[in-house]
Amino acid sequence: MLLYAGSLNAQRVKGSETVLPITQMAAESFIKSHSGSDITVTGGGSGVGISSLLNGTTDIAQSSRRIKFEERKKIKFAGNNLREVEVAFDALAIVVHPSNKVSQLTREQLSGIFTGKIKNWKEVGGEDLKIIPYSRETSSGTYEFFKESILKNKNFMSGIMSMPANGAVIQSVSQTRGAIAYVGLAYLSNKVKAISVSYDSGKTFVKPSVKTAKDKSYPIVRPLYYYYLSKDEAKVKDFIDYLLSPAGQEIVKKTGYVAVY
Amino acid sequence: MNQKIKQKIAFFLFRLFSFFIVGILVSILGFIVINGIGVINWDFLTKSPTEGMTAGGIFPAIVGTFYLVIGSLIFAVPLGIMSAIYTTEYAGNGYIVRFIRLMTNNLASVPSIVFGLFGMALFVNNLGFGDSILAGSLTLGLLTLPLIIRTSEEALKAVPDSYRSGSMALGASKLQTIRKVVLPSALPNILTGVILSVGRVSGETAPILFTVAAYFLPNLPQSIFDQAMALPYHLYVLATSGTDLEASRPMAYGTALVLIIIVLVFNLAATFMRQRLNKKFKQN
Amino acid sequence: MAQKNILGKFAEKFAESLLTVSGALTTVAILFITIFLFKEGFGLFKTPAIEDGYGLYVNSENPVSQLRPLDVKNMYDEEITNWNAVDGMNQEIMVFRIDDVFDYYSDEDLGENYSLLPEKLSHIISDHKNIIAYVPKEFAPSAVQGVKEVKVLNNSLSDFFLGREWLPTATPSPLFGSLPLILGTLLVSLIAIVLALPLGLGVAVYLSELADERMRKFLKPVIELLAGIPSVVYGFFGLVVVAPLVQKAFNLPVGETAFTGGLILAIMALPTIISVAEDAISNTPRAMREASLALGATQWQTIHKVVIPYAGSGISAAAVLGIGRAVGETMAVLMITGNAAVIPSSIFEPVRTIPATIAAELGEAPSGGQHYQALFLLGCILFLISMMISVISDMISKKKTYKSV
Repeated sequence: MLLYAGSLNAQRVKGSETVLPITQMAAESFIKSHSGSDITVTGGGSGVGISSLLNGTTDIAQSSRRIKFEERKKIKFAGNNLREVEVAFDALAIVVHPSNKVSQLTREQLSGIFTGKIKNWKEVGGEDLKIIPYSRETSSGTYEFFKESILKNKNFMSGIMSMPANGAVIQSVSQTRGAIAYVGLAYLSNKVKAISVSYDSGKTFVKPSVKTAKDKSYPIVRPLYYYYLSKDEAKVKDFIDYLLSPAGQEIVKKTGYVAVY
Repeated sequence: MNQKIKQKIAFFLFRLFSFFIVGILVSILGFIVINGIGVINWDFLTKSPTEGMTAGGIFPAIVGTFYLVIGSLIFAVPLGIMSAIYTTEYAGNGYIVRFIRLMTNNLASVPSIVFGLFGMALFVNNLGFGDSILAGSLTLGLLTLPLIIRTSEEALKAVPDSYRSGSMALGASKLQTIRKVVLPSALPNILTGVILSVGRVSGETAPILFTVAAYFLPNLPQSIFDQAMALPYHLYVLATSGTDLEASRPMAYGTALVLIIIVLVFNLAATFMRQRLNKKFKQN
Repeated sequence: MAQKNILGKFAEKFAESLLTVSGALTTVAILFITIFLFKEGFGLFKTPAIEDGYGLYVNSENPVSQLRPLDVKNMYDEEITNWNAVDGMNQEIMVFRIDDVFDYYSDEDLGENYSLLPEKLSHIISDHKNIIAYVPKEFAPSAVQGVKEVKVLNNSLSDFFLGREWLPTATPSPLFGSLPLILGTLLVSLIAIVLALPLGLGVAVYLSELADERMRKFLKPVIELLAGIPSVVYGFFGLVVVAPLVQKAFNLPVGETAFTGGLILAIMALPTIISVAEDAISNTPRAMREASLALGATQWQTIHKVVIPYAGSGISAAAVLGIGRAVGETMAVLMITGNAAVIPSSIFEPVRTIPATIAAELGEAPSGGQHYQALFLLGCILFLISMMISVISDMISKKKTYKSV
């Protein structure tokens, strides 16, 4: 019980709540075929994963956003080399309450809504109802990605509600008539309604789906990453190879995301 | 007449309040028991979670909680009892003791998240233990230390002085008196405090968020430097994470029920033990 | 025999000094916690409020040479659009981030490993008098004519305690205005006390004055059970049952509000309030009660004119301790108040409390960075509040013992 660091193949994966289901299911099946290995999975958000990678408290950081320049520098400074692997693709879906009549929005409208400039659904073609935007916590890669891609790096409105994970967002949106939120593709369900998005000021609107994410016609597509340090390569190689293998990519698809090939 | 009516109203209200409190307890417990009881079976208690946390069991979380509780007791109980022995048997009644008691009370009122913050800074980062059962146990031990100290102090104080003077009169040293007479006599009450703290520690989430908790462990933790799952954290992630919250909901109810049962069993055990011991003392 | 005695005496002395040391344990713990929290927390005021490793650069003809973090954030959010708002010239602000360089040059133009990047950046900056560029120091336009660096001021005390926006991951300048968090915490605790105090007092009176032995034997475990339910279970209950109920009952757009949080916290604080108040009330000397009854007062008159004022300090201690319990609660609040960092304008809107903020954000704050320090500072606030509560309730109960007849 007092042995340091347990068995040889023990590895820790931490970070993104978006990638979490993939990692958890992959770990479940990886263990079945590779007894003797041990994979600890923790969520908390992409920021938690990368921060843990910097602190040395995780082997793999799962992230739904690209690592920041700053974070890369810190790793380099500590004398380590960073490795980045794309393990899946995700489309960021914009969801509203099923009863909401609005079915399409442009990037500009979304930006206005989430920065608090557009406050009522009637301003974007819906009914006279207050818009209730939901966001994720600042630790979320999904939060960062949305901020970069849709808000063009502007800040969310102060006073936006912050939910700890995608699941909680879906729960809240399904209960709130005026709600609007962003979630990873895999979290879509019939409890919420996904709307079509236009990135070209209204010329074309595309609905999010695995197909439109794969052929990149849906504008809000992002890779999901595993980050690790080169010195841990031997430790993590087997699991990452597994995730990139056809079996692993099946799990990606099964969870609702887009495979890398 | 006016006064009598006022009294009737007031007393009726208070009676109502009391039943209201009972009602609150019943609805919370009922909510969990009714929804959770169908989920609990042997598999649930002994298997790992599967199918993306929508099926299987919560065994690793139960084991993790068990490890954390034991770990926290290892740190808090010996140190807590020793501290209590110092303040009741050695320190007298001057400023020092009053100051120590004040500090113990202060520690007792520190919010659990601050313990988590401190635990992360000291045990995980500074001392380099990382996210581990060790860090989590130390943090939880610190959290429960004031409780152990307080109950041990009360237990020691309840031992009649006649025991002490009798022992000293027979030529025993102070330490021998404490070891062979006072401590055994106070032990049942001290045990009550330990049982109470088991109930407390099992349910704490905030201190373990950043010191030990993991979302999923396919195997059980192998060493004290591993992360662990734990029941309260498991309930939190089942209630907020995962792709299909609806499907995880039954597991959440089951986890809540197991957690409540553990906490309540220990709390009630401590309460009844205390009642019976007090009766015994009164008889003496 | 003598040898054994000396060894024995030595062991005894050793054991006794061990005991003495352990007596200081809680004091040492408090000391450590205080030092850790404050050292880390106050470090926030010593670091410039711009993301580590980055700098802000403007044209050298721009009169502005330093900016407050709030101004930087407003400029990049386009809330401020003219330089004269920050004492500059009357010109529209041109906001520039490192990625924008690709609007001017292609990848090849920037050379191998971006070696030409600093030079190109200097060109862009000296060409535009109204530009403000947020770029990594590594690619900083070298000390060139036409380019100067703008210093971002450190977070000041008023930035932290009076700032109204909590944006810990904003770039270029994160904002750590904790006012919404402090007010959110206070609002939720206030609601909890307003609901719990009358209820708790009523039950305390019932328990000590009106209930018979059987009721008391029944109610006491009930209250202990309520006290034992873990915070995360309360949070789960609140999330699944209470929040939708509140949403329906008050016809609100969303059920996660300060009120919902206050409601659950009230239930959690009740056991503390009830037991301390009941203790205080039942310790009222019989003599006072009997004197009042002898003068012809009803039981109720006796209670509210004699007993409760007498137990006043104990009841205040109960209230104070209840507030303390409410202020420090984390998991329940995290799950049901919506976590919106905004100064609350009504009790039916989401709020964000200090403990919930720490719990939600600590994982991702890189060790030693500004965000980390700000969270520790929040921890300091919580710690101080809980110390004050502990000391105040201690003082109040001491007053009581002196008052006893």
